[in-house]
Amino acid sequence: MSTKNSPNTPSVVPDTVLSVAGVAKEYKLYPTPRARLRALLTGKATHRSHWALSDVSFELRRGECIGVIGDNGAGKSTLLKLLAGTLQPSHGRIDRVGRVTAILELGAGFHPDFSGRDNLYFAGSLIGINHDEMARLEPEIIDFCELGEALDRPVKTYSSGMTVRLAFALVTAVQPDVLIIDEALAVGDQNFQKKCVERITAFRNSGCTILFCSHSPYHIRHLCDRALWLKGGRVEQFGNTEAVLAAYDVHTRAREAAAEGDAPGGPVPAVTEGAGAGHPPDGSMADQSRHFAAPKAASDGGSACILSVDVAHLNDAVGDQPPVLQGHDLVVTIRARGRGMERPNIGFMIEQSKGVGITSLATHEDGAVPVQLDDGTWQSVLTFPDLPLHSGDYVISAFLFDETGLAVYDQWFQFLHFRFIFPKPLPGLVRLPHRWS
Amino acid sequence: MNILWSEARALWRARTLVWVLTRREVASRHSGTALGIVWPYLQPLLTVAAYYLVFDVVFGMRLGEQAPTRAVGAYLVVGALPWMAFCDAVQRGMTSLIDAGSLLHKNPLPPVLFTSRSVLASFSIYGPLLLLVAVAYIPAHGLKPAILALLPLLLLQMLLCMVLGYALAILAAALRDVAQLVGFLLSVGIYLSPILFPIQLFPQAWRWVLWLNPMTGLVMGYQQVLLQGQWPQWSVWCATLVWVCALSVVLNALVARSRDQLVDWL
Repeated sequence: MSTKNSPNTPSVVPDTVLSVAGVAKEYKLYPTPRARLRALLTGKATHRSHWALSDVSFELRRGECIGVIGDNGAGKSTLLKLLAGTLQPSHGRIDRVGRVTAILELGAGFHPDFSGRDNLYFAGSLIGINHDEMARLEPEIIDFCELGEALDRPVKTYSSGMTVRLAFALVTAVQPDVLIIDEALAVGDQNFQKKCVERITAFRNSGCTILFCSHSPYHIRHLCDRALWLKGGRVEQFGNTEAVLAAYDVHTRAREAAAEGDAPGGPVPAVTEGAGAGHPPDGSMADQSRHFAAPKAASDGGSACILSVDVAHLNDAVGDQPPVLQGHDLVVTIRARGRGMERPNIGFMIEQSKGVGITSLATHEDGAVPVQLDDGTWQSVLTFPDLPLHSGDYVISAFLFDETGLAVYDQWFQFLHFRFIFPKPLPGLVRLPHRWS
Repeated sequence: MNILWSEARALWRARTLVWVLTRREVASRHSGTALGIVWPYLQPLLTVAAYYLVFDVVFGMRLGEQAPTRAVGAYLVVGALPWMAFCDAVQRGMTSLIDAGSLLHKNPLPPVLFTSRSVLASFSIYGPLLLLVAVAYIPAHGLKPAILALLPLLLLQMLLCMVLGYALAILAAALRDVAQLVGFLLSVGIYLSPILFPIQLFPQAWRWVLWLNPMTGLVMGYQQVLLQGQWPQWSVWCATLVWVCALSVVLNALVARSRDQLVDWL
């Protein structure tokens, strides 16, 4: 059992809380369950091997926050499960110091017929919190999950959000030495998501090592000191977050380009229709308006969302062609509804329609603040004077963040394509600040 | 046997958790009912009460000369209750890992805990019932020192169920059909045992078949203790120990071959 907690293992230096050495994980794939039974009874190998991870080595020190990125099937989940100890490595060893808490799937241990309180004590014992300790932690957990009276009702009467809240409050009731999070930030309502992020940040500030797996480069960039890029079960890169994310971004774009190359060619639609809440309605494309408004239903709800995005000086699109920006300035007005009295932050990104990202900006990064309008909504006007781009097709995205800039409340991703025509016939993408002498 | 030893140590280290799991398992069998904890005990109790009523009170059936006792109902109850305990423990032990699949996926816990909790939960119900039956037999069959042998018999049966249940749980994880097959074997197994008829009634040439049932030795042990007030014969201990040892060897191999992939199969 090389993965047991081993506080006294001499190979681990005191500052290192997690050390992974040459770990590999093989999944044995049997053609049928019958073959699996036969192999079990006879001991003969009839399986195909799938190496989900091979030769993975790294060390985490106290207080570090590591983001794990990689394509689907790169072995991220397997790695997290190995670190959490629910899977055993086929080769190599994992040494862990202290308490390791994994937020893999919340609420898995709950029994629907028992009350929330009862499940709390039971699930607590599964993660090593005994009855007395739980009695001590209970008030704080109840306070955090905000279940109140519902705690004494059977868990089967809970909504999924309530279950997740209880589970999250439980697993994070004791500060771990290593916290493993698998895409678990996207749970519950906005209010609770924010509390989750705050609690994780608090853990981090008090010296907890966090291993965080996400598809969101934004969260990784903001939370993590270092990033680990897994590719085909191997560590492709491990190091400075920005460097790894940049390399991964190049890889993703190359892969997307390859995928597009395979697909039958065709004109790119003027406005791509993305999935997701708060996206502009189809009607706004039909009349080629430059004003995008959220669907009525979304703006009636109480949650924070982007209400509208206006791009000034866009002419009407013709046929398949995107609208053309008239003049030299790009002026974008983003209007959003915040949550309660909190002042939200607004983000903006511009990319090539088919190609690389150019820049992304956010109010909290620039030290700017959205302005509150009379009706309580928030507005930011972003101006690029003399837009320093060369001629081409571009796409913009808008984002709405919470006050800290950690939780993403809403995003309109790549929702508007436009064409910009730079009068001088020079090739290139951006016009950098420069000086001739 | 190193692997079984390390499993046993893991079980011992997590004994407080096993205790919580076991209590929870018992509670989940009657959750939502008005009678609560009474139900798990009531069902087997009513079944043996029905045997007694039908065979001894209503029909007054009698066994032949060579039988350990004359009353059919009294004879039946002594064998049937341990057999019911065996079936319950083995069946629940067998499905324990599949049932605990989601828990095992999310929590770093040794699988053996879940088989143990199922078997222990089963015995926390049937153990007291067997002792109750032993007390009920005292007026008719007398109180002899041999009654002390009940405890080792019960412990041996629990060990047997634990080993067999865990082995079947691994097989059932690999191939779900195992659970169906074992369900069938358990339902016909009662005929391959001296529960319904004394072993003396079986033809001499076919008596060896009874020993293919791991419970035959234990059932005869219970009968000797409770009906005749004798210490169990050496054949009772030998047969059961041989079964436990043989199953342990098999279990050891199964655990060794499956330990790094067992959770993937659940």
